[in-house]
Amino acid sequence: MKLPILTIVMTTIFTGTMLTMISSHWLLIWIGLEINMLSIIPILTKNQKPRSTEAATKYFLTQATASMLLMFTIVFNAMHSGQWTTTNIDPNNMIVSLTMIIALTMKLGMTPFHFWVPEVTQGVSLMTGMLLLTWQKLAPISIMMQMFTSINSIILLLIALMSVLVGGWGGLNQTQLRKILAYSSIAHMGWMMAILTFCPSLTMLNLLIYLMLTIIMFTMLNMNTNTTTLTLSNLWNKSPTITMMILISLLSLGGLPPLTGFLPKWVIIQELTKNNNIAMATVMAIMALLNLYFYMRLIYSTSLTLFPTPNNIKMKWQFQPKKRSLFLSPLIILSTLTLPLSPVFSTLN
Amino acid sequence: MLKIIIPTIMLFPVIWYSNSTMIWINMTSYSLMINLMTLPLLNQAGNNSNNFSLTFFSDSLSSPLLMLTVWLLPLMIMASQHHLMKESMTRKKLYLSMLISLQMFLIMTFSATELILFYILFEATLIPTLIIITRWGNQTERLNAGLYFLFYTLIGSLPLLVALIYVQISLGSLNYLVMNIWFQDMSSPWSSNLLWLACIMAFMVKMPLYGLHLWLPKAHVEAPIAGSMVLAAVLLKLGGYGMLRLTIILNPMTKIMAYPFIMLCLWGMIMTSSICLRQTDLKSLIAYSSVSHMALVIVAILMQTPWSFMGATALMIAHGLTSSMLFCLANSNYERIHSRTMLLARGLQAFLPLMATWWLLASLTNLALPPFINLIGELFVIMASFSWSSVTIAMTGLNMLITALYSLYMLTMTQRGKFTYHIHNIKPSYTRENTLMSMHMLPLIMLTFNPKIIMGLTY
Repeated sequence: MKLPILTIVMTTIFTGTMLTMISSHWLLIWIGLEINMLSIIPILTKNQKPRSTEAATKYFLTQATASMLLMFTIVFNAMHSGQWTTTNIDPNNMIVSLTMIIALTMKLGMTPFHFWVPEVTQGVSLMTGMLLLTWQKLAPISIMMQMFTSINSIILLLIALMSVLVGGWGGLNQTQLRKILAYSSIAHMGWMMAILTFCPSLTMLNLLIYLMLTIIMFTMLNMNTNTTTLTLSNLWNKSPTITMMILISLLSLGGLPPLTGFLPKWVIIQELTKNNNIAMATVMAIMALLNLYFYMRLIYSTSLTLFPTPNNIKMKWQFQPKKRSLFLSPLIILSTLTLPLSPVFSTLN
Repeated sequence: MLKIIIPTIMLFPVIWYSNSTMIWINMTSYSLMINLMTLPLLNQAGNNSNNFSLTFFSDSLSSPLLMLTVWLLPLMIMASQHHLMKESMTRKKLYLSMLISLQMFLIMTFSATELILFYILFEATLIPTLIIITRWGNQTERLNAGLYFLFYTLIGSLPLLVALIYVQISLGSLNYLVMNIWFQDMSSPWSSNLLWLACIMAFMVKMPLYGLHLWLPKAHVEAPIAGSMVLAAVLLKLGGYGMLRLTIILNPMTKIMAYPFIMLCLWGMIMTSSICLRQTDLKSLIAYSSVSHMALVIVAILMQTPWSFMGATALMIAHGLTSSMLFCLANSNYERIHSRTMLLARGLQAFLPLMATWWLLASLTNLALPPFINLIGELFVIMASFSWSSVTIAMTGLNMLITALYSLYMLTMTQRGKFTYHIHNIKPSYTRENTLMSMHMLPLIMLTFNPKIIMGLTY
């Protein structure tokens, strides 16, 4: 795509999300979501293949449905409560609360509306997939954080639990890396939404750490354009340091102490336990192990074993890396080694 | 405690900046110096006054285990020299870095005050061990071994996290020193049963309990020598240490809830000892013997009498040293014939007589010969279990018999008898190997003269 066009489209995406995040009037929030959705469609179809067109169509259909549901909820709420602010939604109005949650979880890609996430992420390139799984989550989560007091917590907890289950089990049979990261996104969204009605600052914490880890993973995969586990197994020959970084990042994404990815799980379990949701906390914690299993499979094929490679020499000739990897080193350090700084995150509010 | 932790962390730059001729010398000597610094910890006053800071403390339970951990690091480094000879420099340094990071986490685990910190470090020890087993193991089964190891431990320990957080919310603090004063008895509704189970299962998997022990033979057999040593000597003791720490908050449920586990342990002792008699793989034999010894420790901890706690601690230390020594001996065999099958290297006494002495001593301590500390541990546990219920003497006595049987079986199979003809060109023992064995044996012998330092909390 030519640079001026790319700039305009990217700015529009940015504007859409920003518009959603700063408004308190429902109409403007909806407008921001629509601008965001419409302007990401050219990004999805950037590389002009039938698979990308299919992915863009699926994305457009689900997101448009979700936006329409949201518009319905907004108008219904305006009709029944007479006002358009986000913070004053009536939680007793069952239609409003239910369809609001359905619309927003459809936007985020949570169960039972998760079916588009793996297919859309698979159909686009790695960096576009990263955009999809990171930037696109910001707008709906900001809406949910604004209205968290009026969300029906039972429905949201149910959706979160199902997302963790589906994210764990769905990723087990995958070898395509983009689909693995899509299922990981579904599971992490489940963790984020489980704690929303109790303590939204923990949702923010989990979102930040998840964003950092996903950006790292996609950037490292983009360095050699690895899209399958098989190509990833050749990585030890080309750049062994990236192999080690993938190991640490995947272990952090799986939530193993002493890496930073353990921190959101720990504080979420703590908040859920404080609110007497011990069974939920235990089930979610154990289901996160399914996620860890397919990360371990990736780690095995990448770092801990040496797969046979196409060339006969131990190390390939090291050319200058052409792909840009901005902020990779600080992000890796931030997302794997900052567990001792966990009291600092309590200032996040 | 920082005087031990910071030098251990500083071993990282020592590894990465040493040149290729000095790396083993540097590592071994500096880790021996850290040993020297840890030795004063063994001097425990009885009034629990060794509280170094808000985060770290040491009492008479954690200091022998800490001493065992730091003693083991130079031994692991010495033992790994041979199989790392052919690796490139970076890989050698990576392996040693894994060992050092494991050491760091273990030291902090044994001295942590806050139980959540203990949990985080307990889980943190999994990552370097997983990398050591999976990356540097020798057969293809190591991948499965790593997965079993990681997932068995994690499934057991995630409920522990939830239980610890619940206890912190209901009790107010999880600082161990505070808990000693503030503890309340657990109430009796059925949810306390679940809480008890959640607290205990993590350590039962780690010990391991007989029904959950599947990961242990795999992990011990597939790990390289340093991995096997640290797994057998220290990582299993983490389970025992955790259980001993948590018994305060688990009263009085333990009197009722412990029955299935004691049954499993008593039966499992006999089962795993009997399996040892039928093993062809030498490392697998030693692994199953670890399960058997640890079952005695579980029985002791669950019975909660002063003598049984003394026996449990003494048995943990003694078993750590003995099991690690047996793995070193098995590894010395493996390095020569590249096979773990016992049948292939028999009659070694004729070729390596000094090594046969070490085999003899290791087998004798394994079968709990007086006056070694292995006997003191086992005797205390058996006496305590006899006073708890007279029937258990049948099973523990049978276990001692079968332990003696398989230890002597291992000894006579590898050392005595007619040698096989294909081993006539094995290399003689290195000084390094003899040093390794003597450094295992010397603490065992010297502790016989003063066992009170390993007797733990209730001495």
